[in-house]
Parts: sequence; C-alpha cells; structure tokens
Amino acid sequence: MIKIIDTTLTTIDNHLPSKDDLHNFCRLLDKVGVDAIEMSIPIYQRMEYLPEELRVKFYLRIEVQAEKLKYGGFYRYILHHADCEIGMISKIQINDIREIISLRTYKNLEEVCIVGLDDLLCYNYEQEMIEIKKALPKSQILFCPENTYGCASALAVQWVVSGGNQVMTSFAGHGNKAATEEVLLALRLAVRHKPNKELQDLKDLTHLYSKITGEVIAKKKPIIGEDIFKVEAGIHADGIVKNPVNYEPYDPKIVGGKTEIIIGKHSGKKAILLKCTEYQIRIPEEYMVDQILLKIQEVCTMERRSLSKEEFIQLVKEVCGYEN
Amino acid sequence: MKIKKAIVDTTLRDGEQSPYIALRPEDKLKIASLLDRLKVYEIEAGTPCIGRLERDSIAKIIENRKHSLISVWSRMRKEDVRESIACSPDIIHIGAPVSYVQIYHKLKKNKSWVQKSILECVEVAKKGGVKVTVGFEDASRADIGFMINMAMMLEKAGVTTIRLADTVGVLTPNRTHEIVKELHEHTRVPIEIHVHNDLGMAAANSMEGAKAGAEYIDCTLFGIGERSGNCNFYQYIKASEAIFEYAMTKQQINEVEKEVKHLLLH
Repeated sequence: MIKIIDTTLTTIDNHLPSKDDLHNFCRLLDKVGVDAIEMSIPIYQRMEYLPEELRVKFYLRIEVQAEKLKYGGFYRYILHHADCEIGMISKIQINDIREIISLRTYKNLEEVCIVGLDDLLCYNYEQEMIEIKKALPKSQILFCPENTYGCASALAVQWVVSGGNQVMTSFAGHGNKAATEEVLLALRLAVRHKPNKELQDLKDLTHLYSKITGEVIAKKKPIIGEDIFKVEAGIHADGIVKNPVNYEPYDPKIVGGKTEIIIGKHSGKKAILLKCTEYQIRIPEEYMVDQILLKIQEVCTMERRSLSKEEFIQLVKEVCGYEN
Repeated sequence: MKIKKAIVDTTLRDGEQSPYIALRPEDKLKIASLLDRLKVYEIEAGTPCIGRLERDSIAKIIENRKHSLISVWSRMRKEDVRESIACSPDIIHIGAPVSYVQIYHKLKKNKSWVQKSILECVEVAKKGGVKVTVGFEDASRADIGFMINMAMMLEKAGVTTIRLADTVGVLTPNRTHEIVKELHEHTRVPIEIHVHNDLGMAAANSMEGAKAGAEYIDCTLFGIGERSGNCNFYQYIKASEAIFEYAMTKQQINEVEKEVKHLLLH
C-alpha cells in the first residue's frame, strides 16, 4: 500500500505557528490524502495534543530514544539512530550512490528512513533503487529524496513506480524535499493512486501554508500556483474551449482551480469572441475581430503585458465604435 | 568523457506564450543576443503567423545572431509554413498533433489526414530551402506505434529532428525514458525533448530523455511557459551538468537571467 508521509511540520520550528493553525494544517493534509504526518517536538508542544478524529497517522522526530517515553501516543518515532525496537525508525542520510552499500549495516532494522540522494537521477536510478531494497531486504523503507537538483518529486514518484511504497515529502517542497502536492497528483496520474477523489482542499492548505511560513507561493508553482490555469495563446485557448482535456493535464476543479482565458499579445479570434460574450459586449463582425486582434497586439507589446477586463472592453468599444 | 547535448531555447516562443508576458521587438532582440552569447544551439525566435511585429522581431534576431541557429514555429498549415519561409530562418519547426485526443477530438480528423498534411508542409518547407524539424505534439498521450510510423515517414521526407512534446506535462521519468528509447531504436532521426512542468518534473524528465538518447533539450529562461512552465534552463543544467557536456555553464545562465528578469517575470 502506498503511503505519503508529509514532513512539513518538522521544518517550521522557527515560524511560531498557532495551535489552531497547526491543527487545521493536519486536518487539511488528512483531507488531501496524506497518510502520515511527521512533526518536531516544538511543533507538538505548540499543538498541545494530537487530533484524534483524523485518519492520518502521526510520527514524531526525536533526538534521543528516551524521548519516546516522554512524548507518548505517536504511531512512529524517527531518530538518527534507533535500535531494533518496534515503532522506531532510523533516519539515514545518503549523499552519494556509493554509500548505498553501507545500508547493509542497518539490515536488521524494521523500518529505515533514507534521506538525500539528490542526484540519483544522474545515474541508473532504477538499478540503484533495487540496490537499496537489496541492502535492506527485511526493512520497511521510507524514501525521502532531497531537492537540490529539482528532481525530488520525480524521484519520490519513481520510488513508488519501482515498487517502493513509502515516500516522505513536504508541502510546496518546504525544506528541500519532494513537494507533497506534486507527488499526490503525479501518483494519481501515473499509477492511479487516488486516496481522495478531490483535492480542492489544496487551495486552503496553500493559504494556510503561506500564513504559517510567510512564504509566497510562486504564481507558476505546479498544482498550487495561482496562474497555472490561465491561458492566453490562441491555439491553447481555442483547444481548451473546445475541450479542456486538449491542453490541460487534469481537470483544474480537482485542485480547486479554474481555467481562465487571458487576453494578450498571443490571443486569437476565438478568445476575443468568448470574452465579448462573457463581458456582454455586442459580438463584432469578423473583419472587426481582426482589427481588435491587431490593436491588442500593438497595445500589449507596447505595455509589455496582457489586458485587464476593463482595458479589453474599452479597446473593443474604441475599435468597433460602440458607444460607452 | 561526458556526452555533448545541445540546448534549444524556446523562451521567445513557448515562453512568451505564457499569460502576462509580452515582449517588444527590442526585448526579443536583447534576449536572443544573450542566448546567442551563451552559444545556445538553437533559438526558437517566434511564430511568424502571429503578425508583422513578430516577423520583424525574427528578422532582426536572424540578422544579429553570431553562433546560434534561429528557428521559427509553424502550425501544420501550408500557408503558415510559407509565411515562415519568408522570414528566412535556419530551421522551420512544424507542430504536428499525434495523440488521439488532439487528432480526433480537437481537430476532428484522423491519422491519415495528419500524415498527409505534415508531409505536404514538410515538402513546402524543403522547397523553400530550409531545414525542417517536426514536433510531435502531445506525444506523452500518443500511441507509440503511430509515432514510430510518423518518425520513419518523416525521416524519409528529410526531416532533421523529431521533437517529442509533453504538451500537457504528464510525463514521469520512466515514461519519458521509454518513449525516447523506443523512438530512438526505430529511427535514425535525432530526437529533441520538450517537456512542461505541470507535475514539477520538467528537469527530471528532460534529463531522462537525454539519458535515453535525446540530443536536443528544450528549455526556457526561468522555466517560463504555459501553465506551470517549461523546463527551466538553469535548473536543467544544474541537475545534469555532472553527466552531460553543454556549451554553457549554470553561472552564465544565471548572469543572463539577471539581465532579463524584468522582462520575463511579472
């Protein structure tokens, strides 16, 4: 069974989130289909208690084994070097594929968390993943690729595709990890792993993440960026209007998004007609549409940007001679 | 010794198509000059059928380049190809839809129509004395058998490169590897990989495409492009420079990005 373990709450100790925000963050991660949440002791202390009504399991990152007794009630405890005790997971940093062989030292452990391997994709990663499993034949392996080379989400997905079943991620890739939302969507599309039908709660999760961390999500950030379903190019806008599946990888509604046609330098006739209908402007004659397109190109090129709704309406009225 | 790979930069075509970006002719010329200085193998300078301003920009880019080949993008329409020839580029790239979604649902045509149309367009371009590359649009959702047939047919027709476009950005590394490898095994036409970043895997997929035999990798500055963008030039070089040799370093790309940031990021 595939398990996604989100580690965001191990990376935000310095941000001083409120108790309510943390409980809400856990609830939203649960709703989008994360299977487990790893947190740090300071975050747990801020939360005061673990939410009980959720499906998700909780892991605690500890420094020494004795802390397990102090902070009871977690499903698993992760630390740098654990004994063979049930419920404890050893976290091992592997920075180079030549270190994979050293994993044999840990072959008696029940569960092992492997962190690192940022550049695994530079090699025969499928073979190296087999070597990891061979080195730890009896262990449950939690794979936590790091993102120094922008390939962590791809590696996490490939771990699952190649038969692994547990990956560690973080929301928006916080703390140099695979991005939870990218792994969720990619597994949905690549191996039909659908723990939840809908992922609309990613939108609330994104806002809450920004509130907690102060991080502004890039507008083009995969899955959660606010501009990713905006389309301007004529050929794409036309294709999407005919059928969204033509140019969209998945239905934007799944992640709480919506397609939006933007008018700009690369717009085509169909987009003009569509926007005229949307803004309830009289539909221009075909020859006028060509004139409108020319004017849009000219204005957008000079201004180095697309047009706002008001600018578009004004431009159409001017070109067509409509009264205000 | 590291294997050499070539970068095709599509900042001025696929990148500029992204909403909120609109470049003036002088902006396009500036970006092209910087890419040329980086010795990018090919600069996709624009789409001639957009209009006069675009064609003027392309003409200036061609006039000024010193190192890079300049290509233009054309739809699979003879009139568009003729318009492209008029710009006198080094390469005309013609986009041909290959997935059933695009052929049957979007265009309401069939495979024979696609084959006939692309051959006609290639013939027009070849008569114009220009090198032709063909892009398999939506290759990630296409039937591999159909793509192999198309590639073999286009190889005979004199097409110099096949671009595999992950138009909707749904590839994963293993799937990218499989598609490139399979095509590579069946044809001698060099392969170019063009991916989008919808699942945050553009750099990884491009690298797997290169490992499977793709000679050309499409990138854009800052990774700008439709939806979540294209393969980020800097990020791709950073990820793969340990195993492949390129004409430029990531530091040089970084310098170029600093100079054009105000034009490409809103």
